[in-house]
Amino acid sequence: MENFEPEIIAFCCHYCAYTAADMAGSKRLSYPTNVKIIRVPCTGKVDALHIMSAFEKGADGVYVAGCLEGDCHFKNGNTRAAQRVAHVQKILQDLGWDTQRLAMMNMSAGMGEVFARTACEFTEKIKQLGPSPVKQMNTDSYRQTQR
Amino acid sequence: MQKLKDIEHSETAHTHVLVIGGGVGGIRATLDLAESRRNVILIDSAYSIGGLMTSLDRTFPTNNCDLCTVSPHLSENTRQVYLNLMPMTRLKALTGEAGRFTATLVTEPRYIDMEKCTACGECYKHFPDIVRFTPGLDPRAPTCMRYPQATPYAFSIDMEKMADITALQKICKADAIFPEDRQQIKTVEVASVILSMGAELFDPSGLTHFGAGKFDNVVTGLQYERIMSASGPFEGDLIRVSDKKRPRKVAWIQCVGSRGINKGDVPYCSSVCCMVSLKEAMVTKERFAETIETTIFYMDMRTFGKDYELFLNRAKTDYGIRMIRSRPHTITEDPETKNISITYALEEKALQMTEEFDMVVLSTGFRVPGSSVELARQLGIELNIHDFVKTDPFNSVVTSRPGVYVCGVAQSPKDIPETMVQASAAAGMAASNLTAAVDIPEEDNGFIPEKDVSTQPLRIGVFICDCGLEIGGLLDMDKMVEFAGCQTDVLVSRAVGHGCSSESMNLIEESIRTNDLNRVVIGGCSPRTHETKFQDLLRRAGLNKYLVEIVNLRDQDAWAHLGHPKEALNKAFQLLRAGICGVRKSRPLMDQFLPMNPNALVVGGGVTGMTAALQLADQGIKVYLVEKNSTLGGLAKSIRRTIEGEDVGVFMSRLTDQVSTHKNIMVLANSIIVDHSGVPGRFKTGLQTGPRMNYMQIDHGVTIFATGALPNRPDAYGLGLHENIVTQLELDVLIEDYPEKIKKMTQMVMIQCAGSREPGNPNCSRVCCQAAVKNALRAKTLNPDIEIYVFYRDMRTYGFQEDYYRQARNMGIQFIRFSLENKPEVWVENDRISVFAHDIILDRKIQIETSCLALSTGMTADDETTEDMAMMFHLPRTSDHFFLEDHVKLRPVDMSVRGIFVAGTARSPKNIQESITEAHAAACRAQALLAKKEINLGAAVAKVDSSKCAACLICVRACPFSIPFINEDGYSQIDPAKCQGCGVCVADCPAKAIQLFAYEDDQILAKIEGLLGGLN
Amino acid sequence: MITAEQKPLKEIIDSISPYEKIFLVGCNECVTVCAAGGRKEVGLLASVLRLHYLKQGRTIEIKEITLERQCDPEYVEELASEIHRTEAVLSMACGCGVQTLAGRYRETPVFPAVNTLFMGASEAQGIWAERCQGCGDCLLGLTGGICPVARCSKHLLNGPCGGTSHGKCEIAPDVDCAWCLIWERLKALGLEKRYEEIMEAKDWRSAGGGGPRKIVRKDLLL
Repeated sequence: MENFEPEIIAFCCHYCAYTAADMAGSKRLSYPTNVKIIRVPCTGKVDALHIMSAFEKGADGVYVAGCLEGDCHFKNGNTRAAQRVAHVQKILQDLGWDTQRLAMMNMSAGMGEVFARTACEFTEKIKQLGPSPVKQMNTDSYRQTQR
Repeated sequence: MQKLKDIEHSETAHTHVLVIGGGVGGIRATLDLAESRRNVILIDSAYSIGGLMTSLDRTFPTNNCDLCTVSPHLSENTRQVYLNLMPMTRLKALTGEAGRFTATLVTEPRYIDMEKCTACGECYKHFPDIVRFTPGLDPRAPTCMRYPQATPYAFSIDMEKMADITALQKICKADAIFPEDRQQIKTVEVASVILSMGAELFDPSGLTHFGAGKFDNVVTGLQYERIMSASGPFEGDLIRVSDKKRPRKVAWIQCVGSRGINKGDVPYCSSVCCMVSLKEAMVTKERFAETIETTIFYMDMRTFGKDYELFLNRAKTDYGIRMIRSRPHTITEDPETKNISITYALEEKALQMTEEFDMVVLSTGFRVPGSSVELARQLGIELNIHDFVKTDPFNSVVTSRPGVYVCGVAQSPKDIPETMVQASAAAGMAASNLTAAVDIPEEDNGFIPEKDVSTQPLRIGVFICDCGLEIGGLLDMDKMVEFAGCQTDVLVSRAVGHGCSSESMNLIEESIRTNDLNRVVIGGCSPRTHETKFQDLLRRAGLNKYLVEIVNLRDQDAWAHLGHPKEALNKAFQLLRAGICGVRKSRPLMDQFLPMNPNALVVGGGVTGMTAALQLADQGIKVYLVEKNSTLGGLAKSIRRTIEGEDVGVFMSRLTDQVSTHKNIMVLANSIIVDHSGVPGRFKTGLQTGPRMNYMQIDHGVTIFATGALPNRPDAYGLGLHENIVTQLELDVLIEDYPEKIKKMTQMVMIQCAGSREPGNPNCSRVCCQAAVKNALRAKTLNPDIEIYVFYRDMRTYGFQEDYYRQARNMGIQFIRFSLENKPEVWVENDRISVFAHDIILDRKIQIETSCLALSTGMTADDETTEDMAMMFHLPRTSDHFFLEDHVKLRPVDMSVRGIFVAGTARSPKNIQESITEAHAAACRAQALLAKKEINLGAAVAKVDSSKCAACLICVRACPFSIPFINEDGYSQIDPAKCQGCGVCVADCPAKAIQLFAYEDDQILAKIEGLLGGLN
Repeated sequence: MITAEQKPLKEIIDSISPYEKIFLVGCNECVTVCAAGGRKEVGLLASVLRLHYLKQGRTIEIKEITLERQCDPEYVEELASEIHRTEAVLSMACGCGVQTLAGRYRETPVFPAVNTLFMGASEAQGIWAERCQGCGDCLLGLTGGICPVARCSKHLLNGPCGGTSHGKCEIAPDVDCAWCLIWERLKALGLEKRYEEIMEAKDWRSAGGGGPRKIVRKDLLL
């Protein structure tokens, strides 16, 4: 697994984490290219189905990054997101996956450093966990299904 | 291309504001006025607007390219129906009075017919060594376009240099060359005038000792910016002029021509140069090579702006930029290598040092050009001793002539954020001389009807912006274009230089039309900043504005992955594919509108809040002014004098009277905010007010936060141990109210940066150096025999405050420097105060016994208040708990939540005049929003598919705003006018019967597929 | 409403393990409302199953369909044209739906993906509690609107047993004693006298003791 470069999807709230990611960029704070962002208006919009879909399509890790607790632009979307993340973690556990492949994070718009740091840390963790179980088992058939 | 409207025959005389100077300040003022539906005429003597900022490579503190940040603002101009843009025009005379001026304008010939010119660039192609604006480095040629995003997008001809006009006419396919063009003079009726002429940067070639203009490798800061700029002479490559090689050692010399009394010097401080040099040094390491050694020779490091101290710390620790406190006296050139030797002395070592550098950058400050002095003479406005426009002591945008206002560097040296603040303030003041806003029907926006794309097959166009070199410098443009071109349904894939420039925008628009595109992907910067601009582009091209997808290749790829071009390119491919997949699923959508509530809520009854409230109330807006204390006044009540000697008390009591008696202001003292809801333009805020804490609810369209800051009282230097150990605020009162006490004193010691610029509170409080100088001067004037010692780390008497600093030194006040590692110690024994400190020059400990010790403690954020407000109003804060504005450079008083503004010390420490200016700015921005009768809520609303709805009530319960309900047909219904667009109901619906427009599930799934599909 | 919850994943997987072409059928009625088998849960389970097969290196073809109501033949008929394309059906409806499907499509094995639990009501978002056992002889008029058959652990009809303590049932501290609730309600209604009336032994034939039940509305027969 020396050269394993995980695919990581980050669902980021427009009001905080997405802005924090822009902030990280404007401060030229580096983080791994593995992390790719999908912008959502609020993490409360992130459906369990989206997270599952990301894993199905080959994501090795997924995280949902919303506003700090109590700071949600829409009152409680971020806490709803955290509940859903926990629910999907339970599903992953039933499937025999490491639940650390999915995480909920909180940061404010000004926290460019936090965005960069958590992106690094999460990528590092996924690297340790190795490729997603769907890829580990049988890469050939995985390729086939993705076609 | 902008079609200039004929303003001569305007029937509504005196409904215009004239803005002179199209730099960022002038543009901001113009846009603010146009946004609040006032007619504006913007004139600039240059052939396109943009000013000084557009020739800088990048600007602090975000260190991004200016062209990209300012160009949306510039092009915004071209679509504003309230705007007349007149380049190559100057003011000849202004007669009349405030509200009824007649201005005589002179427009120089362009020799190009703007109606015909298509900006094809053919004329420029035939003069290949020209076009770019490279002062001092490149000869300028007959046709000029200053920078790629120039507005208006047109060329001009320098007739004097043009020998053969017929040759040029032949080249022009549009037949736009117009040699008969003549100077035109017209008069316009205006109600107010805003001056934003800016200033020049000092040309040091007249100085004998720095080698400017003599040595190839000595350049000014502006020349260095041009060298680094993508649109500069070396196309963004940092190389030496002498041998075209990359320098390994670069030095900056600060205060060249500034803070001096010698020949060619000006005595004032230009305020921005320290940050500029830090930025240039950081960008040098970042963009060209970390190994380039960067050294800054400076006198005092003046990083006094919001979070600028953190910027300085980052420059030192993260970038390893070397700082030497010295003013070099000799600079020589090695005739062989053309390297530059700098000889300098260090204050801690009594010896002379010489060091060789590959390149030396002279950090030069602002100078008032002769043309501004002449303009002032014509206008009959007073200038200060440095020839900057003199302004009211408590209103920095009001000149000596009523109805004439000023903003930006024309008033005093300042950076971009402060210029923006002053510009908005000036716009607000200028608008107050006008009658009501002018209504121009929305239908006049010039948009063609939207094309029906529902039955068309997908026709996608992908346009990838190189953003100067911001994107193209790291990511391979050709490969990205090729990759995008191979994706399904992509008909057009191409690179566009500076995608947000008018040239590229026109090119994209043209491509949409000619290729009959119905979906567009823009690879560029963040949708947060540029989505609206490209949405407008689609509308102009006849497409629904929601059929565009912005792929963030800059902020979230190129910028974040410097040094990893290969990985970043792969990421770019994935992001592009996600964008293309996403746009395939996009649908035309309609925006939702609601009527605007016309009232304003101002939180905080200090000088800032009161000023903002008064400004709005004078414009006929009903203002609720909420103050938690029982009386108005805030921190300014405890200030007696400004550094200029103005009586703050008199000003404050007049202001308080005006506010308390104003018919449009409802002062709610003893009031606290307890709840908040609603959408921008229709807020509801609950208060508990009065001695009985009665609950009341306010409906308002906008909110201004002016909650102030707290005087810092650190547990340091014996504060609180002795009655004569005081803060500068307390000393101010002591001097004013108890002068006899000062007269009895024999010594006075001041310690700067008490409790700031150190771990725990790393930022600079900005106001303390001026407070110390102010109090020292007053004490010395009261008691000429008193010995005053000021212990400082860097004296930050920016701008004209430098005059007072110099005066203090001339009066014998001793300034002794200390370092963070060697702070003074204070001993209190037997009622006697002693200060022990290390004197750097003497290199030994000194002891001063003093009658009075004044600590410059500055201010800290009102953490409790900003935290409460941030929670309730969903506002971001900085790490030191001040409010964080939407854009630190370009939108300094706007918060990220639309309709919410911030001003004064709630945003960052500042003095009373600066707070007042910011109050005016926030009021102006708020008023611009209130001038709209309707508020656009966007299209991101949730909609229920009744055929799928099981009426399970989950959405009804889950909605944070209780908007869904089960209608009489038995299905959930969501009122689009009330929906806030969070999408919680969508993610919770067990029947998947709800979709959030603009973020539909199939779009999100398509993006996931795009990011990951076909991998491995 | 009929309530259900998803079966343990292992059981679902075991039941369909021989097959690689599956119809996963949800129901837009009760199981949607109790978030056990609506469109959303169908999507999630499909995703989970695909992930499981992927991990095993197998492929599975899952067709997701959510019927308006799986317990009505007309809605179930919607599958008819495509049922031959599948090897097995996994139903996320209650037992009624599963049986309707199984009865209609006799050639195809039908497996339940949920356990049907009880007839319940929603106490709050995400919480459903048993309220009715369908005994066929409703007593609620006598018991202040609280059903002793469904809510008393022992289905007692004449007051609480000795296991009641501070209003809670002895089986678990978070279960209310139905008879305490009934008493409080009757008191509040001023109908304490009802409590003293002895209820006769219940005839459990109508509760299913007499075999499978059926309702026939002759006026509606076509």
